[in-house]
Amino acid sequence: MDVKKSPLKISNLVKRYGSYTAVDNVSFEMKPGEIFGLLGPNGAGKTSIISCIVTLQKPDEGECTIFGQNPMDHPLDAKMHLGYVPQEIINHGYFTVEEILVFHSGFLKTWNNKEKIHYLLNRLGLWEHRNKKVKALSGGMKRRLLIAKALVHDPKLLLLDEPTAGVDIELRNSLWEFVMELKAEGMSVLLTTHYLEEAEQLCDRVGVIQQGKLRKVGPTKDLIEQLTQRQVSLIFRGDCANGIKSKYLVDVEDDTARFLIPQDLGIGELITEVDCEIKNLLDIRISEGSLEDAFVRILGEGRDQ
Amino acid sequence: MTITPSMRPFLTLYYREIRRFLKVIVQTILAPIVSSGLYLLIFGVSLGERINLEGGLSYLAFLIPGLVMMSVLNNSYQNSSSSIVSGKFGGDLEDWKVVPLSPTAILWALSLGGLTRGLIVGLMTFSVGQVFFYVMNQQFLIPEHLGLLFLFLMVGGLSFSMFGISIAFWAKTFDHISGVGSFVILPLIYLGGVFFSLDGLHPYWQLVSKANPLLYFINGVRYSMLGESDVSLAVALSVSCASLVLFYGIALVVIKRGQYVRW
Repeated sequence: MDVKKSPLKISNLVKRYGSYTAVDNVSFEMKPGEIFGLLGPNGAGKTSIISCIVTLQKPDEGECTIFGQNPMDHPLDAKMHLGYVPQEIINHGYFTVEEILVFHSGFLKTWNNKEKIHYLLNRLGLWEHRNKKVKALSGGMKRRLLIAKALVHDPKLLLLDEPTAGVDIELRNSLWEFVMELKAEGMSVLLTTHYLEEAEQLCDRVGVIQQGKLRKVGPTKDLIEQLTQRQVSLIFRGDCANGIKSKYLVDVEDDTARFLIPQDLGIGELITEVDCEIKNLLDIRISEGSLEDAFVRILGEGRDQ
Repeated sequence: MTITPSMRPFLTLYYREIRRFLKVIVQTILAPIVSSGLYLLIFGVSLGERINLEGGLSYLAFLIPGLVMMSVLNNSYQNSSSSIVSGKFGGDLEDWKVVPLSPTAILWALSLGGLTRGLIVGLMTFSVGQVFFYVMNQQFLIPEHLGLLFLFLMVGGLSFSMFGISIAFWAKTFDHISGVGSFVILPLIYLGGVFFSLDGLHPYWQLVSKANPLLYFINGVRYSMLGESDVSLAVALSVSCASLVLFYGIALVVIKRGQYVRW
């Protein structure tokens, strides 16, 4: 493995199921140590991309490489550096939580791995449940087990496919905290999630996928800046709001004038542009653009194409 | 032998297979032994007393090798096929695909897991048969060719494990699995000479029986235990080994091309 190479590089990936194209010529590259969010509506092709990375599906065209190695050509090497948390729960009917981790560790060539397994059991709140069979666990606990399995061999790249789908807020928060710890240790993380607020907080960069096509990819902050506007409400004394004129003005209601301004325009510049008397200005309320706003805009533009 | 890290995924899967069938030991080991014991009691002891075979061989002695091989084949097949089917149902198969387990490692680990269960049940069946044989004859049935016996049991068990892997990967529903069990495996086993000798059949049915590969597995074991069988040792050994190669090839292709996504 060459750690200097990109943890994950997707090049012109195409995946078809019969006549349906689930992934349509997708390319992107992750940087070492970053959290990359792959976002998109249901059926956009996110899980198909991940399935191709982990070799559950064979790409029809293009390739994925993990630290420079194609897992289709070098499965035994490439998979050693990969931790995968699937979207759906695995129900290992026969075994206990600890046994599953021991076996998974062995599949990844790591024997006598008790220390790491016990650390993960404790860190993910599974210690009390280590002797239970999976079917006796709650949905949240099963998901924690999937995460423990993915980390049992200290992978360099972690794929999280909707890891917080259907789990409570407490687990979500503790999971994200854990993911940030892993990132701090140098792990690269590819994440798919429907929770855009979380993606905004966690992801260094995001890619938005729609109908199998990658519509936009870039640093999260840049996308928000480029694709959203700040909503500014100026609240005036008396009926002063009615006289306001500005190219950024959206509407006036009672004492409040609402503006949508570009992310790079300062509030001072807006007030100068509005040319109002400061003594009449009672309050300023600012609502920043979010990843969700950017996401909605990207999807809207995608639909128009 | 030194165990290298690259062997660990294979050995882990093999160990997991053994742990899996031992977790449900009543269903996987004890139940087959009970059914073999009943076969021995009803056919070998009760009805067997009224059946006379050429050369003065007792029917119980004739039956024991067949039942041992039947146990090995049945349990080897069931172990590997049920492991894959439950893996498809629960999602375990996805695990095998995303870790560094090669198709060859999966094939051998599952096959050896099936063989291990088959040999345990076969050995227990043989032991139960020995008890009945001792009660009837005041002596034990000592296998004539122990090495050959082990070879035939290995080849048969591995072949049927591999057959089970192929069928389970191919299957889309539980019905497919039970259909093959009921309409293919069971007739082949029962018509493979477990309960009867070819000599007692009409020439036409002798011909049909000779097209059944199980006849050669079973008669190989019978020769190894008793020193006599319906087919020559060379033919039994050749057909058995050819079957193993064939089942190995099919299973390897199926594992390489098969779908690992869950039902």
